[in-house]
Amino acid sequence: MASGSEAGLERLSKLPAEQLQLALAAAGAVGTWDWDLVGGRLYADPRFAVLNGLDPADAAAGVDPSVLFARIHPADRLRIRIGVAGILEGADLFSREYRLMAPDGGVRWIQARGRCLRDKDERPLRFAGVLVDITEQKRTEERLRIAQSAGGVGAFEYVPGYGTAEVSEQFCRLLGLRPSKIVPVSLVNALVTCGGALFGPDMDGRAPGQIAHAEFEIRRPDTGALQWLARRSEAVSHGDTAILRHVGVIYDITDTKLAETELRAFSERLESMVETRTRERDRIWQNSRDLLVVLGTDGVLQAVNPAWTELLGFEARETIGRPLLDFVHRDDVETTSRCLAAAADRSAASFENRLLDRSGSPRWFSWTASCESEVVYANGRHVTREKEQAEALKATEEQLRQAQKMEAVGQLTGGIAHDFNNLLTGVVGALDLLQTRLAQGRTDNLERYAKAAISSASRAAALTHRLLAFSRRQPLDPKPVHANQLVTGMEDLLRRTLGEKIRLEIVTAEELWLTRCDPNQLENALLNLAINARDAMTAGGTLTIETCNTHLDRAYAAQHAEVSPGQYVCVAVTDTGSGMPPDVIQRAFDPFFTTKPIGQGTGLGLSMIYGFARQSDGHVKIYSGLGEGTMVKLYLPRHDAQMPAQASKPRAEIPWSPSGETILVVEDEPVVRELIIEVLGDLGYHSLQASDGAAGLRLLESDERIDLLITDIGLPGLNGRQLADAARLRRSDLKVLFITGYAENATISSGFLEPGMEMITKPFSIDALALRVRQIIEKA
Amino acid sequence: MSGAELELTELELDALTELVNIGVSRAAASLRKMIGVQVLLSVPSVEIIDRETAAQLIGTREDSQLVAVHQGFTGAFSGHAMLIFPEKSSLELVHAVTSTNVASEEFADLEEEALAETGNIILNGCLATMANMLQQSLTMTLPEVLRGRGPELFQIAGEPGRGGAVLFLYINFSVQDRDIRGYIAMLMDLPSLASMKLLVGSFIERVAGLDAGA
Amino acid sequence: MAPTTVLIVDDSRLARIVASKLVKQLKPEWELVEAANADDALAHAAQGRVDVALIDFNMPGQDGLALAAQLRETRPELPIAIISANIQDEIIARARAVNATFVAKPVTEEGLSGFLSGAGLRLRKLST
Repeated sequence: MASGSEAGLERLSKLPAEQLQLALAAAGAVGTWDWDLVGGRLYADPRFAVLNGLDPADAAAGVDPSVLFARIHPADRLRIRIGVAGILEGADLFSREYRLMAPDGGVRWIQARGRCLRDKDERPLRFAGVLVDITEQKRTEERLRIAQSAGGVGAFEYVPGYGTAEVSEQFCRLLGLRPSKIVPVSLVNALVTCGGALFGPDMDGRAPGQIAHAEFEIRRPDTGALQWLARRSEAVSHGDTAILRHVGVIYDITDTKLAETELRAFSERLESMVETRTRERDRIWQNSRDLLVVLGTDGVLQAVNPAWTELLGFEARETIGRPLLDFVHRDDVETTSRCLAAAADRSAASFENRLLDRSGSPRWFSWTASCESEVVYANGRHVTREKEQAEALKATEEQLRQAQKMEAVGQLTGGIAHDFNNLLTGVVGALDLLQTRLAQGRTDNLERYAKAAISSASRAAALTHRLLAFSRRQPLDPKPVHANQLVTGMEDLLRRTLGEKIRLEIVTAEELWLTRCDPNQLENALLNLAINARDAMTAGGTLTIETCNTHLDRAYAAQHAEVSPGQYVCVAVTDTGSGMPPDVIQRAFDPFFTTKPIGQGTGLGLSMIYGFARQSDGHVKIYSGLGEGTMVKLYLPRHDAQMPAQASKPRAEIPWSPSGETILVVEDEPVVRELIIEVLGDLGYHSLQASDGAAGLRLLESDERIDLLITDIGLPGLNGRQLADAARLRRSDLKVLFITGYAENATISSGFLEPGMEMITKPFSIDALALRVRQIIEKA
Repeated sequence: MSGAELELTELELDALTELVNIGVSRAAASLRKMIGVQVLLSVPSVEIIDRETAAQLIGTREDSQLVAVHQGFTGAFSGHAMLIFPEKSSLELVHAVTSTNVASEEFADLEEEALAETGNIILNGCLATMANMLQQSLTMTLPEVLRGRGPELFQIAGEPGRGGAVLFLYINFSVQDRDIRGYIAMLMDLPSLASMKLLVGSFIERVAGLDAGA
Repeated sequence: MAPTTVLIVDDSRLARIVASKLVKQLKPEWELVEAANADDALAHAAQGRVDVALIDFNMPGQDGLALAAQLRETRPELPIAIISANIQDEIIARARAVNATFVAKPVTEEGLSGFLSGAGLRLRKLST
């Protein structure tokens, strides 16, 4: 203690109290004391004296130690007494903060730090220390505390290796601890859940001035919440020892961390997605049973998957670098290279081809290929088995069709037998009666029986026509038809067919276009529809037949594959009957499909109509629902020509032979042959006959006059056509009329018949035969 | 860290701190005698916490390898006292303690028991002084040296789940001019905080010549 | 005249080393015997001469005070020092009760010299 400063302090003590305080505050006064514990006197410097309201001179000379407590604020006094007692009892260190009451009644904050000095036997000798006026410091601390608290910054001071650290209130608040100035290091570190120890060894061994930074996740003990903190600290030299104190702060970085974590989680998720994808793709590549190949746009294989080896037997190493076409079946090379080029060009293609496996066996593959940045990726599904199965299916279907055909034949036979039996009963019955009457000599009413027999026979003929129409081998005889006339002409027939319970309405459109079709077939079709309608209206009802002009447009045509758009004459047959459910409508045109009991219908009606419509370039459509009646619309194409004059009735002009021409009849069926001979005879022609081709040829090779050869085509041995050809070798201009009962012969007639050859189809009426014979002979 | 149903007043806590201060000062004096240099102490920190919190504290994590000398005590109050150093400091301490007495070749041999004896002197000095101050007697177990990280050390010290409070006490110390630092940790079972209050009260009365209640 | 023999009983080897060193400094002519526990100590006492005993209080097995009491039974005049860091008033009182001197650990020259000098005096008195 310099005497100069002592003199200064002496002067200080004489200042008025207020000024003194200001002076002390400005000086940051430090006072010292030295308590002689043995002598029981306390010595102090003038600053101590001023702070404690003592006379500096007295203080320097030694005063009663109780002065130490005299000016202490009553609230602090007891604490300080205990502290001092501790020193006297053996404690080394004294460190206390307390308030001193200034003589003017003001309060100053004081920090007192002291040590006890002992003799060799640990007996206390002196208790010496320093007083510091920390009033200003307190204010600064308060400001710092507020700043830290506002900024969310917690301060600490820590010496590595120590069990406690000095901290600020805000520090405790950030960690969720009860505010305290000293916290156990182990407690603070126990809160850390991630990031090592908050007061940890990472702070040790740093040079003074060096900044340490670390981040921690902690679990707050008060709320249990997780929170991220950052710690920044600086190593500061510690007065007496080599030990460094770490002074630093902590602050909350939870939001930043959360954002970071989210970002990381996001990128990890992304990575894992990519990884998963890659793994999946690898797995697909490895495990796919399809061929997966990578080709250059030049068609050279760059990679093949294990399925390649499995299916074809070629190892990848003997495959890669070769063109895919090397493995392709000769017949598929062109398709394959075209499609690969297409894939490379347009970026995608699908095709099928065969690859040859190691043993040379072809295997079918169905490919989809796509191109991406100059590389073609192709996926080939092995379809050899599917192909085989498809073929097996086709064969099975063929067998099924055959079986269905056989069944159909059974159905047909049954139906035909029924119909024919009925008709034959009519014919035989009528002829029986005719014979009986003739035997009885009764000639009245004979014509009635003959008519009945002819009518039945005609219907039998119509039945065979229907059968042929069904087989679409019916030689149609299309001609311009006026549908209105045709329908009107059928009115009587229809009324008889329908019976009394059913009303018939015919509505004909005015200026109806002509159509072109086989009128007989159209009549047949309408009759069939009428019969179906009748059967659907067991309790009676109304049948309406309408005609109209109509136009089927593209939209309609698009929905019905076989229809061409254009103008049609429509004949619609509508009943008020029971109608048909959709599944029946769907099958209504199927041959032999019938809803009638076996033996009561051939199931050919609608099928025949369908066949007729198609052959006439027309179309037929059913509209119906259960209980809603049925409408069948028959569309026939418009015919633009004029109606030809009606042919004169053949009956009116029976052919007549003027010059006794000779006609050779070759027919193996004696009944037919006799019938023809008889008709020719009636017509006045001379006739020759033969029962087979050979016999016929002998006659033809003779010098007999023969003006016309009438021959059945289906003859045993030499057939009709061969006979005609052979005959023409000798008689080049021989006229020939073929008789045929067989469809084939009819349908091929156009290419079959040479000039001077004509054909007539069984069964034919006498009139028709007479007319044809006369026409042929007259042409000569 | 609250939870004790009956809390010590600030004055009582101050007195208790002072009590520890006295005990530790004595211990520091012993250490000073052994190594011949000044031993610096921090102001003790005293925490009275409930047993559950104590259990959490005991589960603490300490990243560095620690060395501890542990001594149990029973009597008016019972508990565990530990002298804890970072491993590096413990070696330095052993070196300081033995250098004047032991040849260096014996050193490694002696390390463990030198630690135990040093710990024994420090902890005994501290505890015995406190016992004397409170005019109570304590029985102390033989010192044992523990090595490990925080939880492993404190596991010995804690038997949580019995209710009551635990007094946690820390004093940091360092040795002048030597890289020796560490701390004394004491865990005391306080089955009756009320009796501790009484003991502290009479201590206050004795040392300060004052009535604790005043 | 046979040299004075000092028995040092302490479970800590370091403590024995420190004690021996101090004894050698203070009484270089004295002989030293060491024991790590009470049983060892009693064996020494039974076999040969023990003129002075320095006994640690806190030892595994029998503690120092019990050992002192047992030695005292056969050797009422044996100068015994109880050495301990456990400076509780109670321990010091118990040491006095078995007529032993209490010496605080860590043992210092000053701490031990009084006892050793006293013991030397008493031994001389006994031998004369």
